[in-house]
Amino acid sequence: MLDMRAMIVKEFRELVRDRRTLGMLIVMPLLLLVIFGYAANFYVSSLKTAVVGPQAAQTAKTLPPFFDVTVTEPAGTQADAETLLRDNKVDVAFVTGQTPVLALVNGSNLFAAQSATAALNKAGNQVKTQVLFNPDLKTSWVMVPAIIGLILTFIGTIITSIGMVREREAGTLEQLAVMPIRPSRVILGKIAPYFLVASIDMIIVTVLGILLFSVPFNGNPFAFALGAAIFLFVVLGLGVFISTISQTAGQAIQTAFFFLLPQILLSGMIFPLEAMAAGVRWIGYLLPLTYFTMISQGIMLRGAPIASLWLPFVVLTVMAVVVFTGATLRFRRDLAPGRPASPADSQPAETETVSTA
Amino acid sequence: MTYSVRSATVRFGATVALDDVTVEVPAGSVVAVVGGDGAGKSTLLRALAGEVPLDGGTVETPPKQRLGYLPASSGSWAALTVTQNIDFVAGIYGLAGDELAARRAELLDRASLTHAAGRLASQLSGGMRRKLGFVMAIVHRPALLILDEPTTGIDPVSRIDLWRLVSEAAASGTAVLMSTTYLDEAERAAHLVVLDRGRILVQGSYDQVRAGFAGVVTQAGQPVRAEWAWRRGRVLHEYWPGGDPSTPSSPPTGATAVAPDLEDIVIALSLARRNTVPA
Amino acid sequence: MTGVLLSASHVTRRFGAFTAVDDVSMRVQPGEVAGLLGANGAGKTTLIRMLLGLIAVTSGRVGLLGGPPDRERRRRLGYVPQGLGLYGDLTVRENLSFSARAYGAAEPALPPALTPHAGVLVRELPLGTQRQVAFLAALAHAPEVLVLDEPTSGVDALARAALWDTIRAQAERGAGVLVTTHYMQEAQQCDRLLLMSDGRLVAEGSEADIIGSTTAVAVRTADWAQAFAALNAAGAPVMLAGRAIRVANADPAGLAEVLKAAGIEASLEPVPATIEERMLMLARGTARGTEPRR
Repeated sequence: MLDMRAMIVKEFRELVRDRRTLGMLIVMPLLLLVIFGYAANFYVSSLKTAVVGPQAAQTAKTLPPFFDVTVTEPAGTQADAETLLRDNKVDVAFVTGQTPVLALVNGSNLFAAQSATAALNKAGNQVKTQVLFNPDLKTSWVMVPAIIGLILTFIGTIITSIGMVREREAGTLEQLAVMPIRPSRVILGKIAPYFLVASIDMIIVTVLGILLFSVPFNGNPFAFALGAAIFLFVVLGLGVFISTISQTAGQAIQTAFFFLLPQILLSGMIFPLEAMAAGVRWIGYLLPLTYFTMISQGIMLRGAPIASLWLPFVVLTVMAVVVFTGATLRFRRDLAPGRPASPADSQPAETETVSTA
Repeated sequence: MTYSVRSATVRFGATVALDDVTVEVPAGSVVAVVGGDGAGKSTLLRALAGEVPLDGGTVETPPKQRLGYLPASSGSWAALTVTQNIDFVAGIYGLAGDELAARRAELLDRASLTHAAGRLASQLSGGMRRKLGFVMAIVHRPALLILDEPTTGIDPVSRIDLWRLVSEAAASGTAVLMSTTYLDEAERAAHLVVLDRGRILVQGSYDQVRAGFAGVVTQAGQPVRAEWAWRRGRVLHEYWPGGDPSTPSSPPTGATAVAPDLEDIVIALSLARRNTVPA
Repeated sequence: MTGVLLSASHVTRRFGAFTAVDDVSMRVQPGEVAGLLGANGAGKTTLIRMLLGLIAVTSGRVGLLGGPPDRERRRRLGYVPQGLGLYGDLTVRENLSFSARAYGAAEPALPPALTPHAGVLVRELPLGTQRQVAFLAALAHAPEVLVLDEPTSGVDALARAALWDTIRAQAERGAGVLVTTHYMQEAQQCDRLLLMSDGRLVAEGSEADIIGSTTAVAVRTADWAQAFAALNAAGAPVMLAGRAIRVANADPAGLAEVLKAAGIEASLEPVPATIEERMLMLARGTARGTEPRR
């Protein structure tokens, strides 16, 4: 038995030294509990509402507090109301000037829409409810655009990080460092296959989602492709960054997991952002997947133009630049610690003399 | 063209990996660096490759395009075949098409790897993998070739093959710097450098090193001073430095002196440094 | 300790159609250091794994301390594999504690050379020191048999001598040691040598027995590079040693002709062959006193 005890002791000692696994064992459950506790909430407490049409202001006052009126347009028409919804400015738009009043609900925000229709049903014949973008309030219609982003995140972070770490594990990173290929080209050359595979994956999932679940694609495919490309750069950059802080593929996967799990829970894919406690919601706004989901749901379900999606596009672009630059700098440090950057690489001299001090 | 490090000093935190080291590697010759753990062999090689920044001194090294490097680790990509490995590296150096095909065939033949051209690198024996790494390091005909322990742990026959490849490279004008733990290889080099804890103990051709070696090495069954003795086969060798008043300067009469070979010299000098210089 | 410690009796091991070990018989006695030599693929590792009981024999019998290599007998065995078998993320002391307990022995005391490293993670130690720790772990339970796979690979001259000191001390204590090595100079440290090639045991005994009837000719010339190239081109088994070129199993007259044709002046001298040259000839499959190749 003494030998088994020795085995137990050894494993414990190794575990204690393995900080990433410890993190997963201790920090992760705590995080999950906290997040679930504060984030998990399917019930939306108030809805952004617009009232469009004659007597808009008065009608607004008659609405229960659940409908938080942020826009009143007495001179607006039903088309204006639909535009507001398409641009995701409000969850519900009341169109007055007809009887019964028409309530247009934004079907792309699933839980908001469900709460809205539940509340509106209580109003009975006074209100005619029409759900736009996702008339049957199907979960799949809302999930598929989000899952596209999830797949891209998965490939980008986990798989890319492993591919980069492989060089370090095999000891071939040293050789790459000595060869005349520039670090930025090493990175771009390495992620190009993943970019291609991720793009193909995305197309397959989108097409399948449309075919299997009849998910609509109402918007501009080029805008969608652009958003996806920017998002890919962010997650691929994350993958490269993870590889610069990991020594083995195992560590890379663990770290990538740390980045992936919050995005699943807090990007609005499962629990709506509006329903989360403010203390947790801000994390969601830091995550790239949150913004891609805005783009994918906006374009696919609502046919939203890029103009209305400027916020997620800009945020993703900034993220892409920051993450990629940071990752490249770190990677360059691994690849070329000793040499001065450009002069030697661009001018083939017979020798170069590098002196310091 | 002679490449070199001059008065090179490298520090990693508080450790001095190289301390005022000067080594020259002329074209067409093989320079061998020997030394134990922490002697600074890898650091010296990497400094000459431009991979490690110096804290003092200068490096004269060719641009990356004309440099070939074989690291102490595998040196090849496990998931690629022999041919694919060579093609990858050749591609980075700008070799392509017929020129690449001809060069590849020539190198595979010289390294006796032609029959294994389609095999995955991970399925090669240690010696074959090392030969592949060597081929990859010279595919672009570098002016300076740096080999980090190319023959460690390799079977004797592959070692002979590798030495043949190294000699051929030197014969065709390449400057070669290699590190090794095998002293018979160091003997063969035109110039050898013995490092110990970052400093050069001695350097020169084998004849010069032998000629410059001071002191006597004796052989016996029992050591007189344990910290100056080491095992060779069934007997013990012991070093008597001479000339230093703090150590016994001559062996007791009747002790059998031996003609020291390179192993004796290297061990004797290491012991001298260990026993007289505070660590 | 009496009796044969390690034995193989007409041992064969096949993997499918491939015969890794072919009818090998050998033994290791107490108090001796036996060196197992051979190129990669010669079957050394497979033979060792059978002796240790890690894999089964296809035919024949292996013996460890007078019986089959079962777990009880392996308790009296010390084994240091090529990869050292240490845990990189544990300290020296933790490693020794674990392996001692695993063998049911007391934790060994650290020699003065290792005491400063007691609390250091093994992966942060230099290779020579790691090898010392691996040795210590293997010796903690006072084994009667030691099997060491390339124990000094990658280690410098001084540290190598120190490791051989330990090996010799064990043999003098009465243990039997089986060592594999690729470094032929270490062969001189062994009491007896075993040479494997292509799965067979082709030679056994002293260095002279291993070298057998292999001959060599030393070629001394100022023009070593040219001479080397010429002889190599002629297909001779050439190698370099010191300033001389050596050619194994060669007829001096034939060599002289090649050199004369290339316009090189050289002196030729028959010299005693080395173990490397025997192995080179085996690899070429043309050893004199031929062993039939498969």
